[in-house]
Amino acid sequence: MVQSKKQKYLFLAFCLVPTFILFAIFTLYPLFSGLYYSFFDWSGSSSNKTFIGFGNYIKLFHDAIIPNTIIHDYFLVVTKVIGIMVLAMFFAVALTQLKIKEAPFYRVVFFFPNIMSVVVIGILWTFIYNPSIGLVNSGLEFIGLESLAKPWLGDETWALPSLVLPSVWAGIGLFMLMLIGGISNIDKSYYEAAEIDGATQWQQFWRVTVPLLWPQIKIAILYIVITTLNGSFVIVQVMTGGGPNNATHVMGSYLYQQAFVQFNFGYGATIGVMILVLSLLTVLILQFFMRREKVDY
Amino acid sequence: MKQSVGQILGRGGIRIPLILWTIAVLYPIFWMFLGSFKSNAEIYRNPWGFPETLNWQNYIDAWTNFNIGSSVWNSFIVTIVGAVLTLMLAIPTAYAIERVNFRGSKYLFTLYVSAMMIPMVLGWIPLFFLLSDLHLLDNIFGLAIVYAVSQLPFTIFVLTSFISTIPKSLEEAAAIDGLSPYGVLWKVITPLSMSGIITVTIMNAIQFWNEYFMALIFLQSSENYTLALAIDFISSEAQYTNAWGTLFASLVIAIVPVIILYAIFQKRIAEGMTEGAIKG
Repeated sequence: MVQSKKQKYLFLAFCLVPTFILFAIFTLYPLFSGLYYSFFDWSGSSSNKTFIGFGNYIKLFHDAIIPNTIIHDYFLVVTKVIGIMVLAMFFAVALTQLKIKEAPFYRVVFFFPNIMSVVVIGILWTFIYNPSIGLVNSGLEFIGLESLAKPWLGDETWALPSLVLPSVWAGIGLFMLMLIGGISNIDKSYYEAAEIDGATQWQQFWRVTVPLLWPQIKIAILYIVITTLNGSFVIVQVMTGGGPNNATHVMGSYLYQQAFVQFNFGYGATIGVMILVLSLLTVLILQFFMRREKVDY
Repeated sequence: MKQSVGQILGRGGIRIPLILWTIAVLYPIFWMFLGSFKSNAEIYRNPWGFPETLNWQNYIDAWTNFNIGSSVWNSFIVTIVGAVLTLMLAIPTAYAIERVNFRGSKYLFTLYVSAMMIPMVLGWIPLFFLLSDLHLLDNIFGLAIVYAVSQLPFTIFVLTSFISTIPKSLEEAAAIDGLSPYGVLWKVITPLSMSGIITVTIMNAIQFWNEYFMALIFLQSSENYTLALAIDFISSEAQYTNAWGTLFASLVIAIVPVIILYAIFQKRIAEGMTEGAIKG
């Protein structure tokens, strides 16, 4: 191409610089200054911002609520990974291996909650759990198990597990499609060979489908873990606000409460650093454990 | 092929969980529509059945008592401005990273892509004060800028992979015809990657329309509320006023545009999200 160096660099600058400046201002700078703020005691106005070194981090280690928020987050991670993967895998296999005519219909329906707003999902499920008019308690009454009916989201033991179902409900479609994509790439001849060798459907699933689908399974699990650790607080905020009595606070909702409700911005930033460190560490560790030799038959 | 009795039963049986899950997905959504036509008394009397009459009062209440019209408008503006801004910022960068040779292009790409994995919640505290200094706090245009930048990594990521499928010879031919690089970008690359542009834009638009948490932090006065915030507000009011019907009506208003987009672009949305997750 006939084009002087100067022109090329001008064009590059035109393409890259405005975007990068905005990205730096609205993404990079806030992340790094969040790190910086975590060393200050700061209630929002510039006059009372005092450097306290690792003071916030020491407070973090002595804050009795923090371990609970971490446990709650990982409880959601584990239950969501299991719930979503088992159901998504089941539906993916059912819709691909067994010839079901109306399979596209199920795909379209199951995916829809993935693009619903968390606010809508949260409020909808708050109603489903509503103690007096909700579907769950009415259903239990209907089958004669009134004794199990409870104010689900108002119960300290049951509030957190009650948040799992809406998250699974809203998440399955995407992962089902990911797995379907993987399964349809598996060569049919493997199944034919397995059939000839006398493998049962169950054996075929564990010996053929799972190993060949491993890349997709791994990505799906990582994706669930990342999105949960980085975003579980949204559903918590909408459905319980962290209550009752902090029983559902996760790291992010506790950060929101500390920073934007109680105006401990420095401490909020420290919680943010903790979220960053924990989520990066978790991803690294998971990637290490899910490393598997690539299977080639 | 002969089918054993077990296989036939198995095939019929497999439909049971599929149908149950279909009901689990559709019924709550369906129920939300039904509830939006019921009076409060009727919601308590008959929470899960059909409404007795088609009653539009809840929509009128949402519009007049809760001023939801202005929230719909705010959400609309934020969505459109955010989506257009994302494209304006992402297309040139995606093109330069994919097609213009320069040192560091790989690093720049990695930087953008790794931002997808970083929990932005840490950045929201400084962002709050930054927006305040820029007089963009409690401002829907400020929110639109924040939204646009937040979706940049994903958008750049999807667009680079689209642009990489465009044959290089087309660009070269256009350059020989005397088109400047700006012209190539605007008249060759943009139209040829239109399919990818449409896909990411629909996904970004849905994302912006639905977004709740950043709006909660960065908007304060009720006349600036987006739909998600207005719904949250009506929901917390309803604890005291029991205006459940109005709440349902506002949920319906929020979800109908998403349903329409999904009905038209179902394939694009599903493929785009799956691809984005797999390659990300």
